[in-house]
Amino acid sequence: MPDELSASVRQRDGLAIIQFSGDVTTFAEDAARDAYREAVCDGGRNVALDFSTCEYINSAGIAVVIGLVTEARRQDRRVFAFGLSSHYQKIFRMVGLADYMELCASEEEAVQRIKPRVA
Amino acid sequence: MKERIPVVTEEQARSVAVHIPSELGYEKVAMEAAAAAAKRMGFSPDRIQDLKTAVSEACMNAIEHGNQADAGTQVVVVLTLEPERLEVNVADEGRQPLPLKVPEPGRPEDHRGWGMFLIRHLMDEVEFSTEPHGGNQVKMVIYLDK
Repeated sequence: MPDELSASVRQRDGLAIIQFSGDVTTFAEDAARDAYREAVCDGGRNVALDFSTCEYINSAGIAVVIGLVTEARRQDRRVFAFGLSSHYQKIFRMVGLADYMELCASEEEAVQRIKPRVA
Repeated sequence: MKERIPVVTEEQARSVAVHIPSELGYEKVAMEAAAAAAKRMGFSPDRIQDLKTAVSEACMNAIEHGNQADAGTQVVVVLTLEPERLEVNVADEGRQPLPLKVPEPGRPEDHRGWGMFLIRHLMDEVEFSTEPHGGNQVKMVIYLDK
């Protein structure tokens, strides 16, 4: 009875945003990998994971996210995440994911972080 | 006047049992039952989220490891509501021992095994045991005042 994940990709100001909808579990792996490939196919260096429509993330889903972040880091990409509830932000910090991706309060914050700073 | 003879123990009277099939996805049924019990007891929303994660992870371990996702087996989750604490026991049929080793945070190469890590870190007390008939049992406790 899995509530499968769907993932869609959109671009905004140099940020490839993968929006997850549904449960992030072991059943999310294919959808997440396909969306990641689509997100980076034009060579963009910044990827954001939007969890704002995810209510349930379990340890197998965390493993899926770790897999994406590992691949992104290997490709020298910056990864952001936003839309996480305070509980899942805590979980991401506990397992060390926050050391490898930037947790943002909103999509706007992720966009602002990749904008070049004006001296 | 006839004296009333109790048919269940005091502990059983405060207990809720949920039986779920050994199929991934059903852990959410047990998770929601535990959340409803915790809400009734007055736990904070943050602690209820901790409990939901721990219960779902314990059930997933029972399904995937303890019962080897065998459709002919079940996972039994017993919630015991006490004035200051909620105890959750998750039992499987012990086809395989539970993996008790936890990965190390901050190592992205460790993709799996985070369930046990989360259970240990989110609950106030955790005990793992093997029942005489061979089943695995995970006992988790959270306290209202923590």
